[in-house]
Amino acid sequence: MTDFHIRETEEARQRIIAVDGTLRRTTNRAHARLLLMGAVFTACCLAVVLRLSELAILKHVDAPDHVAASVEPPHSGRADIVDRNGDLMATSLQTASLYADPAKVLDSKEAAKKLVGVFPELTYGEVLQKLQSDERFVWIKRDITPKQEYQVQLLGLPGLDYRTSETRIYPFGAGAVHVLGFTDVDGKGMAGIERSFNGVLAQGGKPLQLSIDMRIQHIMRRELAQAVSDFNGIGGCGIVMDVHTGEILSMVSLPDFDPHDAGNAPPDARFNRDTLGVYEMGSTFKVFNTAMALDSGKVKLTDSFDVDHPYHVGKFTIKDFERTKPWLTVPEIFAYSSNIGSLQEALVVGTETQQRFLASLGLTHASPIELPEIGAPLAPHPWTRVNTMTIAFGHGMSVSPIQLTGVSAIIDGGILHKPTLIKQTPDMVQAGTRVISPETSDLMKRLMRLQVVEGTGKNANVAGYLVGGKTGTAEKVDHGHYGKKALLSSFVGVFPMTDPKYLVLAMVDEPKPNAHSAGFATGGWVSAPPVGRVISQIGPLLNMDPLDETSPEVTEAMALETDGKVHRVNLATTE
Amino acid sequence: MRLEASSSDYTLLEKIQGIRVSFVALVVTLGAVGIVGMYSAASGSMEPWATKQLIRFVFCLCIMLGLALVDVRVWLKSAYWLYAGVLALLVLVLAMGHTGKGAERWLNLGPVQLQPSELMKITLTLALARYFQGVSAEEIGRIRVLLVPLAIIFVPVAFVLLEPNLGTSLILVAIGGAIFWLAGVRAWKFGLVIGGVLAAIPIIWASMHDYQKSRVLTFLNPERDPRGAGYHITQSKIALGSGGVFGKGFLEGTQSRLNFLPEKHTDFIFTVLAEEWGLIGALSLLALYLVVVGYGFMIGLSCKNQFGRLVAMALSVNLFLYMFINIAMVMGLIPVVGVPLAMISYGGTSMLATMIGFGLILSVCVHRHVRLDRR
Repeated sequence: MTDFHIRETEEARQRIIAVDGTLRRTTNRAHARLLLMGAVFTACCLAVVLRLSELAILKHVDAPDHVAASVEPPHSGRADIVDRNGDLMATSLQTASLYADPAKVLDSKEAAKKLVGVFPELTYGEVLQKLQSDERFVWIKRDITPKQEYQVQLLGLPGLDYRTSETRIYPFGAGAVHVLGFTDVDGKGMAGIERSFNGVLAQGGKPLQLSIDMRIQHIMRRELAQAVSDFNGIGGCGIVMDVHTGEILSMVSLPDFDPHDAGNAPPDARFNRDTLGVYEMGSTFKVFNTAMALDSGKVKLTDSFDVDHPYHVGKFTIKDFERTKPWLTVPEIFAYSSNIGSLQEALVVGTETQQRFLASLGLTHASPIELPEIGAPLAPHPWTRVNTMTIAFGHGMSVSPIQLTGVSAIIDGGILHKPTLIKQTPDMVQAGTRVISPETSDLMKRLMRLQVVEGTGKNANVAGYLVGGKTGTAEKVDHGHYGKKALLSSFVGVFPMTDPKYLVLAMVDEPKPNAHSAGFATGGWVSAPPVGRVISQIGPLLNMDPLDETSPEVTEAMALETDGKVHRVNLATTE
Repeated sequence: MRLEASSSDYTLLEKIQGIRVSFVALVVTLGAVGIVGMYSAASGSMEPWATKQLIRFVFCLCIMLGLALVDVRVWLKSAYWLYAGVLALLVLVLAMGHTGKGAERWLNLGPVQLQPSELMKITLTLALARYFQGVSAEEIGRIRVLLVPLAIIFVPVAFVLLEPNLGTSLILVAIGGAIFWLAGVRAWKFGLVIGGVLAAIPIIWASMHDYQKSRVLTFLNPERDPRGAGYHITQSKIALGSGGVFGKGFLEGTQSRLNFLPEKHTDFIFTVLAEEWGLIGALSLLALYLVVVGYGFMIGLSCKNQFGRLVAMALSVNLFLYMFINIAMVMGLIPVVGVPLAMISYGGTSMLATMIGFGLILSVCVHRHVRLDRR
């Protein structure tokens, strides 16, 4: 330490001696320069301190305009599809796809190893082979997530790059897949609305608004799936329609599939049972048959028909599902779903009128709904007397379930509205065409209500919503003849019958009897319950107040006069 | 050229005693703030960053103390060689560098990734100090004398620009300018150069195509790309603002915690700290840096030889620029140029380079009485 001190003083002394003119000037200048530098540093620090105080105390973050603008969704080519409430059903996102230029990859083994670390679904050998190929462009992985893109970025591997492309995203997944369809890798609509409106959607711009209500769609899908699984069916379909406008609020076909992976979906899942499938509908056709008979004026409500014996036509024998009474009135034929009674009604009306009537309901030609997957109905040719008899109870003619929505015309004052998947503004609603008189329609409402209260459709009843409807159990044609095993069980319901607003249809394909159905797999057991469950959930959703079923207005509206006696059917609804 | 000291050599004990404990304590404080920041950025976890940062810091601390004991004359003798070596590394990176985020900056040496442009800041300082050590106050007035140091600056700047790394090349120019200034290059020459550059800008600008202008603007100001770098800055400003005066408290920062803030453990660590410790914490950190910078200047001023004086001051300037550019960047005062916060951001090269700088400053301090001949 002492030594150090001595040196210090020695240094000081030498410096004093050394300070001659030049050096003094230099030293002064050096000090001035240091001061100037210090001033610059101070200014810098002052700027930082001021800015920091501004941010911390005023908390005023002025996001530049262009940053604010970026909050708007980025422009992506294909237009969105939204449901009637504006919920997003389909949209397009920019996604990156990773490719490599093998010539620029330095160490293909290392690169392959690192890439497999980011994409565990790829195999090392596969990636290595790609990276060692002689081509200048190989896809490593299509449509990677932003996180994966970031991870690849962090690997710092040369020779890798991205191409952005547009990917179609369906937020509800399989939820409305048969309505929406899907697109191919190039963004071209391949099915459903995506295909039928491909041109409009490809132009971009405003979203396409469908008539679908995703809430109702979800309920229908859940309840239908429950029914299909309860009865171990191979599939099913369901529709909810606004009877005044023809708007389809829900359209479900099961099984369904993930539209993001449509290529791997089995053909049965891609098949839209609502529109592409054509089936012999069975007894639900009796709605049309009864309306036709009553509207023709040739059959009156009070007429009775002999149903005591099976009906022999050529080699066929037509029987009723269950024998009740030897003679049935028109309402009884409808409520008990008598085949023998129905065919006699049709015979009274005649083949020509039946043909014309079914054509006016649109049952003889393909449905006009806006989907590419439309099955043309199978009508007999030539249309003989035998055909007239079988069609009366829904056999010998195949239509798609969407065409059953024609029931809406029968109960909505006789006016037919074409089904549509596009949301209708008040000025868009079609005027519709008259198929039956308002008087017949009024009778049919009461009859359909009777069917639910006293007939086979009891399981569809929902207290307060005055459900009316008709069950159907058809035997599927198997290799040219009817087999009792393979059934098609359906129920078409409408509510509330005092002032019908919505039609709910459910169909289960090849249901099997279960432990709770007493050995039955008929429409009343299989398809009426899901319709009831759907109505009980969507009624409140659609802002419909439950009605007081015992009120005089309701009782009067549903009363049915047969044999001079007034049949008050609406009283026994709640069990 | 004679390099003998005018006083006798120090013993090892004397050298150790010459190391300023207070300076080392400041450095350790900075390092500790960094480790706490890493712990916080990982939402209160030593993994994945804090442990590694701690190991690195201890390692770098040993290197710093080791370098402090190396005789300043060794630095003087080897200045050009070190400069040439790092320059060779720069060329090597360009030739075979690994691409990291689009820019070729890293040299992969097994476990350590080296960024030679960081080391260049130190070797450039050494080389320029060495040069001006041999130039007298009178000679510095001649323009011919300045040609060699200008080349010393602009050769590495050109290579760093090619990487491309605009931020670091500008810092190299700034360090070179600071040494020129401290060595006594006449003020009017600075005025001439700055004026010339300013005058040339509109002429070059006018002759450019629109797309070129657009590229230059985005290069200078990544905020033009709102979904890219602009996102960082907006989030960073929100986080700084959300901290308020007293901060949200340790590990309570929401903006950084919820991953709104990208790169939070590297370039944007200041934001994480400022959100949690508030304006008071941020100003304290700023003050800590300024004390270290000021300390470096004091050491430079107390040094008897021109070489040591320039080295200590230039390295202090380097630290200041480092700190200022990062902090100004995260609060949106200047464009995002990707400069980490020295000693605090996660990353080995930056810390190693900064602490090598501290080691040299300490070496200058220990050997401040060594007299070196101007020739």
